[in-house]
Amino acid sequence: MKNNSLMRLLKRALPYWKIILLCMLCVLLVNMAELYKPLIMERVIDDFLIGSKPERGLYSITGMGIIYLLLIAVSSGLTVFQVNAINHVGQSIVTDLRRTVFSHIQRMPLSVLDKYSSGRLITRATNDVEALSELFTDVIIDLFRDVFLLAGIIIIMLSLDIQLALIGFTVIPFIALITNIIKKKMKANFIAIKSLTGRINGFFAENIAGMKLVQIFNMQKDKENEFQVLNNKYYAASLTRLKLNSILRPSIEIFNTLAIALLVWYGMGRIINRSLDLGVLYAFTNYIKQFFAPINDLAEKYNTIQSAVVSADRVYELLDQKDSLEDYDSGIQVGRLEGSIEFKNVWFAYNEGEWVLKDVSFRIEKGQTAAFVGATGSGKTTIINLISRFYQVQKGEILIDGININDINLRDLRRNISVVLQDVFLYSGSIRDNITLNTPMSEEEVQRALELSCADTFIQELPNKLDEPVSERGSTFSAGQRQLLAFARTIAHDPSIFVLDEATANIDTKTEKLIQKSIENVSTGRTTLIVAHRLSTIRHADVIFIIRKGRIVEKGNHETLMELGGYYSRLNAV
Amino acid sequence: MKDRIIPEFLRKYWINYLWGAIFLFLGVYIATLSPKYLGTIIDLLKAPIIDKGQVFNYIGLIILTALGVFATRYVWRYFIMGNARNMECFLRMEMLRHLQKMSVNFYNARKTGDLMAFAVNDIGAVRMSFGPGVALILNGLGTSLLSVFSMVRIVHPKLTVFAMLPIPIIIFVMIRMGTTIRNRFRLVQKNFASISDRINENISGIRVTKTYVQEDDEVSRFDILNNQMKQSNLDLIRVSSLMGPLIQLFFGICFMINLIYGSSLVKAHEITLGDFVAFNGYLTMIMWPVISIGRIINVFQRGMASYRRLEEIFSVKPEILDGAASNPEEEQEKLEGSLEIRNLSFAYPGHSEYALKDINIKLEKGQILGIIGRTGSGKTTLVNLLLKLYNVEPGKILIDGRDINDYSLKTLRENIGYVPQDNFLFSATIQDNIRYFSDQFSDDEIEDASKISMIYDNIMEFPARFDTRVGERGVNLSGGQKQRISIARAVIKKPAIYILDDALSAVDTQTEEAILNNLKEEMEGHTGIIIAHRISALRHADEIIVLDHGRIEERGSHEELIKKDGLYHELFREQYGIETRESWEDEE
Repeated sequence: MKNNSLMRLLKRALPYWKIILLCMLCVLLVNMAELYKPLIMERVIDDFLIGSKPERGLYSITGMGIIYLLLIAVSSGLTVFQVNAINHVGQSIVTDLRRTVFSHIQRMPLSVLDKYSSGRLITRATNDVEALSELFTDVIIDLFRDVFLLAGIIIIMLSLDIQLALIGFTVIPFIALITNIIKKKMKANFIAIKSLTGRINGFFAENIAGMKLVQIFNMQKDKENEFQVLNNKYYAASLTRLKLNSILRPSIEIFNTLAIALLVWYGMGRIINRSLDLGVLYAFTNYIKQFFAPINDLAEKYNTIQSAVVSADRVYELLDQKDSLEDYDSGIQVGRLEGSIEFKNVWFAYNEGEWVLKDVSFRIEKGQTAAFVGATGSGKTTIINLISRFYQVQKGEILIDGININDINLRDLRRNISVVLQDVFLYSGSIRDNITLNTPMSEEEVQRALELSCADTFIQELPNKLDEPVSERGSTFSAGQRQLLAFARTIAHDPSIFVLDEATANIDTKTEKLIQKSIENVSTGRTTLIVAHRLSTIRHADVIFIIRKGRIVEKGNHETLMELGGYYSRLNAV
Repeated sequence: MKDRIIPEFLRKYWINYLWGAIFLFLGVYIATLSPKYLGTIIDLLKAPIIDKGQVFNYIGLIILTALGVFATRYVWRYFIMGNARNMECFLRMEMLRHLQKMSVNFYNARKTGDLMAFAVNDIGAVRMSFGPGVALILNGLGTSLLSVFSMVRIVHPKLTVFAMLPIPIIIFVMIRMGTTIRNRFRLVQKNFASISDRINENISGIRVTKTYVQEDDEVSRFDILNNQMKQSNLDLIRVSSLMGPLIQLFFGICFMINLIYGSSLVKAHEITLGDFVAFNGYLTMIMWPVISIGRIINVFQRGMASYRRLEEIFSVKPEILDGAASNPEEEQEKLEGSLEIRNLSFAYPGHSEYALKDINIKLEKGQILGIIGRTGSGKTTLVNLLLKLYNVEPGKILIDGRDINDYSLKTLRENIGYVPQDNFLFSATIQDNIRYFSDQFSDDEIEDASKISMIYDNIMEFPARFDTRVGERGVNLSGGQKQRISIARAVIKKPAIYILDDALSAVDTQTEEAILNNLKEEMEGHTGIIIAHRISALRHADEIIVLDHGRIEERGSHEELIKKDGLYHELFREQYGIETRESWEDEE
């Protein structure tokens, strides 16, 4: 599974294979220059400083200096090119992936979305994708570079002097062992710190949001103690991290020094019997130092890969939920629906076995207004969720104009239904954008929608009228005003079915009146379904359904239900 | 007293930095010995007759220096970095304590996200300055000074000057480029944030998006941001990719100078081959501090900005304090609950118009007051003052005949059972949310409270009953369920004064009736204030006041108010329609 998602990610790099290959070539050249540098030193020491060979042209100390600088200049240029090129690839892949994730979220049905917190989804499309970008930009090329550098050093060392090389390598197993042990501890520590940080952040977020309650209920001391526990755990974990970090890198340095000591100790004998040049020994100490840099680097990349694997798994876990995605393309194209709605023995549960709707059947003729009345949790909101096919019914069927809604093209179905929820959502943008929603619309149409929805009065009072910006999801508007805007949006899009979850709270009575008027206007000529809380709204309905515990217990209009003397008449007696 | 919180911490723990610095310099000193030893070994090996014993000695010394560097490094990191970690935790704890003292007014003026940034990012940035930042500076200064000193003293002054020529240029370039990189990096972060915001908004509005089939448009809108993000990243890379190679190049010049000039000195026998090799070693040692200059600037720029922000937030004085005449030790714990408000007028800090004007209310123990009025009429303001969430002028609000300012906040609030408008629950178990994390209530009491607020049956249907977690990682409760839990939380205290601030708005009328009946029994002998939008919620009130624009417009019982044909009557008509009037009155 783990390697799987990593492999799938890497496959996304395939289209860029030419650039990647070019980058690898650059890296190879840079590596070679890097490897050649100590050899220049070796030449200078052995040929000119110890030996006294004649200097001719480039074969001189000055010449060697110039070659040295040229090598660095060329490899610097190549590095700049390579880093930019590979980042281009990485950013392209990541931008594409981010788009894929975002589009995927758009297609996820509510039944799946409900299970994700918005925070988690945001993390998928931002932080997780970002972690993957490092995989492409740093890890792939660096891995290649480090491996080749390592191989190059090994080859050069072996070709310079096999015995010295083998002695230098003796410390590798120790380093591998130590790195392995410490890395394991670091990983556990890393996870612990991450989880603690998350909890600390969560604690602060919640307590800031709920501070008024904390103060009113005198919870300060309890909350402080709760936090102290978290904070202490975090401190302990961060000290552990500190100690592990203090050991890992320096211990590699120690082995590095040990290797040099071994080389000098062994090389000494050979220098005495003239079978080894001093310059070669010096070059070896340099190579040994270079030798550990890629190993260090590889160890450091380990973390990046680790978090990339976690992120890749999480991103693919999301992207793999393909079966449940909403399908906008198939199904009967219906154009404009008439708007008659029929539920036939509908059973529905959000969670298996917990039936929210039990055998619900009813029929609403086109153009009628239907009110659903019932206690909280009775299932009335669920009914309106099902009509837009936000959720799939488990048993029975829902028909609009006599067609099963599962057979209707989803795009067409939803275009015909406008849903206004208790808490109206506004997009950032202008008020106009929020009404037209990117649909081309004439000024008259917008004006008409505003007038019919009674939203024009308050919009006229705004400094920029229709072009007033909507900030932070409309928090600058009152709940009532947002509702009026939602009605204007509905009228502007002229759906054949209008679904409303009537707001219960915090609307001043003046706006409330406008809303009542507006609802009347919106429902004219449209099949209207209202989850109603106001008796006045209910009374105007053509048909009233009383829902209790997932079943329709009474239905009829105001008069017939009053005569019936059931739940509805008792409700009215209040 | 709290406004200089970081200096206070430093005064307490400065000794750690001293020890850290001592060990750090010791470590640097040991490290600078190493190239010299290697050089000496080279010279020893170069000699026609090699003194094996000497070579062994120096090999031993090199190993010892490595061990010394390791040990000192461990110690100074523990002192310096560990101290910074300690500071981080200390600051976070102080931040919580400080935030808990801040008034509602403070929170109204600030976004949760901004305050979170103090607790997370700013404290993190300050830690980076006082830990890795300090270490980088000390280490960098120590290493470069000692290396240069060794180069001059041990090797050759003139060679040192020549070889070091490119270094000022490097430093200049690094600082200039660092600024550009930081600016571009900021842009990347900004774009990252707007992408997060965009997704957040999209997910909150996904129903609307689906309803109006806006998915494709949403993706196109997202594409714009997405491409901006890509572009800003590439812009950043274009500059930052230059940094490393440029440093390499300039140091390459340093090494070349040593190679050419240093070699000529060796040939002229001014320095030995070992000196030449040691010099190379010192140059390598200097490279690292120079490279880290950019990082140091970055860390300290952020750290200092965060430091100022933290000082600023810590310097905000708590506005609401225990009354001067209060003495929490001596106060009786249970108040009677009679309440008097005399000529109370109130304007929110920074506002000129009054939110409340000339309010007079007298409520005996056991009476219930109903408050009704349109949005913005001052209902919630009145409650905020009763809870002393804002400062109240002396002599305006009296509880049990004593000024509200003469009570400690603890006593005052302990005696009020408040149910807020916005039903906030902590992400903890239902049980904890009802007993508000205190241990003084038994399971029976929790059960009773939940029965009174009509949430018991719902709780029993949850898999873990009272131990069910709510919030992000637990069950999602409906608005009505949350409200009922909030009511249970107030009920369990059996407070002297109940305040229900539009607390039944999200429950249906039948449940509302049941809860009100239960509460009527429960509130027997307790004082109650019920604020509502719906007239039906006020049925048990002994007196109803109608607020409008901060004034008491009308007052009286339901019957009296109905007859007045004023604002109350209007509200009543709006909510019930004129024809239901009889049925209401019949029931009364």
